[in-house]
Parts: sequence; structure tokens; C-alpha cells
Amino acid sequence: MAVKANIDSGRWGDPYLDLSTYTADADLMELNMGPQHPSTHGVFRVVLWLDGETIVKAVPHPGYLHRGVEKLCEKLTYVQITPIVDKNDYVAPMLNEQAVNMAVEQLMGIEVPRRARWLRTLLAELQRVASHLLWLGTFGIDLGGALGGGTSLFMYCFRERELIMDLFEGLTGSRFHYNTHTVGGNRHDVPAGWAEQVKQVLTFIERHIDEYVAVLDHPIFEQRTMNVGVIDAELALGLGLTGPVLRASGVDHDLRRDAPYHAYDEIDFKVPIAHGGDCYARYEVRVAEMRESIRMARDLIDGLPEGPLVGARPIKTPVQVKIKSGQAYVALETPRGELGTYVIAGGDNRNASPYRFKIRPPSLHSVSALPWVLPGHQVSDVVAILGSLDPIMGEVDR
Amino acid sequence: MAVDDPGRSYSHPLFDTLERFPGLDLATTTADKLLNWGARNSLWIFPMATSCCGIEFMASAASRVDFDRMGSFTRATPRQADVMVVAGTITVKMAPRVKRLWDQMPEPKWCVAMGSCAISGDFYRDIYSVIPGIDTVIPVDVYVPGCPPNPEALMAGLLVLQEKIALKTAGLKTVPAGRPETAKMISPRIKRVGHPDRMPEIDAAQCAQAMSLDLTEPPDLLAAFTAAQAAAKAAREAAEAAAADAAAADEKGGEA
Amino acid sequence: MTADERQARLAAFMTERFGVEADPWPDGGPIVPVEQHVALAAALQAELGYTLYVYCVASHWPDETPKGGDLIPEHYEVATGLRSVGAGSHVAMWRVSVPVGAGVPTLADLFAGADWQEREQYDLVGVVFDDHPDLRRLMLPEEWVGHPLRKDYAIETGHLPWR
Repeated sequence: MAVKANIDSGRWGDPYLDLSTYTADADLMELNMGPQHPSTHGVFRVVLWLDGETIVKAVPHPGYLHRGVEKLCEKLTYVQITPIVDKNDYVAPMLNEQAVNMAVEQLMGIEVPRRARWLRTLLAELQRVASHLLWLGTFGIDLGGALGGGTSLFMYCFRERELIMDLFEGLTGSRFHYNTHTVGGNRHDVPAGWAEQVKQVLTFIERHIDEYVAVLDHPIFEQRTMNVGVIDAELALGLGLTGPVLRASGVDHDLRRDAPYHAYDEIDFKVPIAHGGDCYARYEVRVAEMRESIRMARDLIDGLPEGPLVGARPIKTPVQVKIKSGQAYVALETPRGELGTYVIAGGDNRNASPYRFKIRPPSLHSVSALPWVLPGHQVSDVVAILGSLDPIMGEVDR
Repeated sequence: MAVDDPGRSYSHPLFDTLERFPGLDLATTTADKLLNWGARNSLWIFPMATSCCGIEFMASAASRVDFDRMGSFTRATPRQADVMVVAGTITVKMAPRVKRLWDQMPEPKWCVAMGSCAISGDFYRDIYSVIPGIDTVIPVDVYVPGCPPNPEALMAGLLVLQEKIALKTAGLKTVPAGRPETAKMISPRIKRVGHPDRMPEIDAAQCAQAMSLDLTEPPDLLAAFTAAQAAAKAAREAAEAAAADAAAADEKGGEA
Repeated sequence: MTADERQARLAAFMTERFGVEADPWPDGGPIVPVEQHVALAAALQAELGYTLYVYCVASHWPDETPKGGDLIPEHYEVATGLRSVGAGSHVAMWRVSVPVGAGVPTLADLFAGADWQEREQYDLVGVVFDDHPDLRRLMLPEEWVGHPLRKDYAIETGHLPWR
């Protein structure tokens, strides 16, 4: 009811517009973007109907990277799932691993040792910085000419991101798909000298964030992002948008603070919000989040407690993880929002696999905002809006 | 020359023009060398970046590894590119688009399969929606293994491609002579689209239709395939029934 | 209000208004009659402040006869979750169960996000959502046959001519 009233009043764009009854001022044109397009952040397709230069209807088509992860997980044991979900949100794999392991831990009632919880929090915050850096760099490319040829910001951001990749490589041995979390704790302990390295990297990045903000303090950037792609709070909540996109719409909601997990209730941090709801607000929130995450990571590495990394009864073989029945929904805050894992236990392999495994991806919800937001904008705004939502196609399509 | 001709070797289109130029026919070897040198040192890349490997591809283009310094840089359109780097999983929904983009690239062209998903499908290999390796759809010149490969590994792959071009063997699907077990190991389990081993039920015309990417037609193809399968099944059943009858008759005859 | 208080209030609300057995709270939430699905979502959104649409998870359950029990016929189960935002954030979850062939009423009128989530579940699991404004496949190509997350769908099923 509420949705229809908002469409009819013209507050939100109409995704169900019937084009056969639409009378265009200029020529009605159909324009296809993607699935192979440099600014769609992977393989994503949007079909736009244009009245002159203005979008009247947008129909997104995801699914070009649908890899059947949920079906695959029904065939695997719980321990084997961790490396699979790494590949879903491939810009923040650490948090994907944590999400699935937290769900299994809740179903089995396993307590994670304090050191492992702190280490997980630290890894999550470092990953958040890396993910937002990648977003900032690619957003710079998307907006192209405004930023001195476009690729300079990308080059800077990737320089810093490589440093965080090096930290993860030092800890887990892998640059990308870490497989460092396991049911009941973490696999890899902090190597000698790592803490010092983390602090150096954080200082380096913190100093350079100010430079990016200076690069982007530019009238063309502001014109291309301010008042573009406005999502109001009601639409954001109804669509299930979470993370920076929701906070940019003025909703003060962050799972790290409001439903604490890991060690977030033991440390002190602020949650940045903005009220514009437009692309610029989303940029502001992400940059503020990066600074806050750096500060948190510094606290976390200083306060990392001593102790074991896995529980009293360490889980070493897949057959030890068996769940007879039960359902659980566990969520955490990734750089893109609420990543949930819904597990229905009691599947194949004598209860060692889930019966149904569902990932609640924040990116799918972000992308579903497009048909509501795009109508009324110009074609060039599509790139800015899609970029500011920060979708990761591996997670959208799974 | 057809793209999928297994005997395809590298020849530059400018070569023919130069050959016709008066006086230059004496210097063809030199011209060939020159063109070859130019081609291999300016490999413009069209990134078919679908998933995780795409991020590592971006890292290769970015500040630390930076393949710009060997003359390779990224073009967003297939019409300006020499090399297609397939980085990531290719699904059933995406495969026709990859094929179409590959067909749009001008000759000479090469393909690099980056990462396990593009090579074999990785652990998604058996899943209903995933293509088990891009070499079942387009010919691949260099395989770069890893999940995802490091930027350095991709760089090494591009250097190998340069060597291949220098040796003029790129485009040849070379099978090591005298080692059939190796050949068996590296050849894709599911043959390329249109290969008679892959689809015995579909005749050559229908294969051509599939390859032509007439996207409006797939239901026909599917229907033809289903009908052919049903006919084959009926024939098989009839043969089995006949064999069973014959066996029964034999038995009866033995009793009598 | 903390999450535990919200949970207690939710259980009391569901028992009182919808007559659902919600104490003790079952894993994944109580099973609600299909007719009350939309009314419950609307009440939670308007009265208790569960305004953030979180998930829609459908699962397929083939015919099953438990040891010493009666046959449980084939059915779909659709779980829905809504979240309250701000301090003490909490997820209200419930499930509805429908036989194969019957539909679940859509929530797309209440939550804009239900549109795509329900399309995804229709595409992959095969549940039909009644009165959905645009029920098409989301992930798989239009001409696909079958619903892959059903238990009777083999993981290796091919799709010609590409696989």
C-alpha cells in the first residue's frame, strides 16, 4: 500500500511503468548498458528507456555471474564452505568467512576465545579500509574526466590497498582468498613484527586519505554527485538497504554498535552518518568510515589480548562439525552493509552439510534500488549512481 | 581464416598490403619481423573481467605491477584490443556475450585464461550454470593458473604470450607430440561448442546456428535436441526389446 | 530497549494478536498461517517499528515419512525477517508453509525490497508469490527449465548449447 502511494505521488520512480501507455515528449529510446561495460563493476546489465535524454524506466538484469553457490554449499560440509564464500564478496572476503562461521558457531553453541574475537574484529576493520579504498579508486574512474583523467585516484588508492593486501599475505599466506577463519576460532596467529607493520601502514594510509579528499574537493565532482541519486530513508528501509548507503540516507543504524558481535562491545567507536541520501553523502560516509576504521584498528592491535585462538576443544576435522536440526540467521556489518547467513541444518553427509544455505547479500539489495532511483536522471548519472551503491557482482548473483 | 580453425597460425593483415607494395616483396622477411615486433610489444588488452580475478587484473594494471610498461594497456571496447583476458567465472548466461565480444575483436587476436574458473570452472565446474572452462567456447593461448593469480603471475602470462607471438605459434592449439596422456589431460572435458563429440544429436546446420549466436532461436535448438534425444532413446529401447525377444525366443528354442 | 526486551515483546505480540504459539521461541521463528502473512508484516512495520526488510528464504521439502510418524507431504517453507533499526536492533522472523502449487501472498506492497527477493526465490526455489507485480526469473536466463534449489534438481544439469 505504502509503496504504491509513493509511486503514484511521484516521490519514487516507477519500476512497473507501462510503456505502451506512456506518451513521450521526445523520442522514446531503448538503451542497453552491459553486461560487459567498464563502469558496471563486473557483469551487470541495465536496460534504460529514455525520453530524449531523461530516463523514464530502468530494468536491471543481474545473474550474469550466477554460480549456484547456495546449491553447492548444500553438498559440502560446514568446514568446506568457508573457502567457497570467500569468492562471493571478493572485495571483502574476510567478512564473508566470518559470517558463515558465526552462523555455524551459533547453531553449535561454540564460544570463540577472546583473542580470536579481537583478531576477527581487527581483520574486519582492515578489510573495510581496503574495500573502501577500492571503491574510491573505481568511483574515481567512473567519474572519469572530473578527476584529471580519472585513473590518478585509482592508482593512489591501489597503492594503499596493496599495503593491506601485504599485511593479509603476511598473516594468512594468501593475498586474496584467505580461508583463515574456522569454526570456533582462527587458523593463523599473528606473526612476529606484524603489529608494528600494521601500525606503519595505518599511519601511511591515514595521511594519504586527506590527499584524496583534496583531489575530490572539486566543483565538477560535486556537480556530478550532489543531489544525484537521492534515496530517502523510507525507500532505503523498505528496500533493505544497509551499511553506508542506509547511513547516507540519515538512518543511524550500524550492526557493529546496535547488535554487537566479535569485540565491538569492548571498543569505542563512532558511526558516521550523513543526511543527503545522494551520491555525495555516500562518499562522505565511506571516507569518514575509513578514518574511523583506521582509528579502531590501531586500538585493536594495541589491545590484542593474549590467549588461545581456538576453543577448548579445537575443531580440526570436517566430521566434527555436525548439526542435527535447527535454523539460524546471523548477520554482520560488511563494508556494503548487512551480510546475513541463513542456515537450515540437517542436510546430506549425515548432518555435516546444511539442508538449505542462504546468503543475504547487501549488494543485491543495493542494486535493487536502481529501478526506483534512476527515473528522472540523465544517462551519465547512471554510472555515478551505480558506482556510489558499491555493488559487488559476485555477491549480487552468487 | 576461421577463428576456430585449429591450424590457424599468426599472420598480420598489414602483411598482405606490404607484400603488394612494389619493391617490398624482396624485404618481406624484414617486414614480417617488424610487424611481429610491433604486435607483441603493444598488446592492448580487453578485460573480460567477471569476478575475483577482475580485481587482481585491476591490481596488475595499477601502481605496483603496472603492465603499461610493457606496452599493454586496457581498452574498454573489443574493437581496439588484441588480447582478451578472461578473468573470472563464465556462466551460461554470459557465455554467448563472451563469444560475441570475441568475434568482434579484429585479427590477429589472442586469449589469456586467467584463474582456475576461466581455465576449468574450478569448484563451480559441475554446477548447472557454469561453463567448465572458457576454452569450450573460444580458443585460449595462455593459461594463467591461480585462484586468483597474483598480478605477477598475470604479468608472467603476458610475457609468455609475447614469446609465443615472437615464435609465431600463437593461435596454434599445439598438442605435445608423442604424449597422448598429456593431451588427454589438457584437453577440455566438455568439447567446444559445435564439436561433434559434444553434441552428436545436433547436425552441422544447427551447430552453425548455435555458433552464429542468433539469440532469438535457442528454444528451437533445445526442442530439436530434446526430440533427437527422445528418438535416440526410443531406438535404443526398441533395440533392447528386440534383443530381449530374441533372447526369449532362444530360450524357448532351447527348451523345445 | 535491548534486543532481549524486543524479543519478549514480539513473542507476546504474536501470541496475543495472531494466536501463534511463540513461547518457547522456535529456531527460525514460529510458523504463521498463510492468510496472516501480510497482516503480520504490516502490523510489525506499522506498530512495532520493524521497518527494515531483511530476508526472504524459501526452502523445498519433498515427501518425507519420519520414523514412526505420518507422511509429511511435499511443501515449501518461506521464512521472512524484518529488522528494527537503531540501538538494540532485533530481527523479527517467522515462517509460512504452503503445499506445492499454492502461492504465498507477496509483501511487495509493503516493502519495495520484497520485489526482487521474492523474484529470486521464485527463480531458484520455485515458490509462486500471489499478486506479485513482476514475477519473472531474476538470476537465470528466461528460457531456463526448472528451479535449481529444489531437492529434485541435480546440481550437474546441463544447459545446451553452452554447457
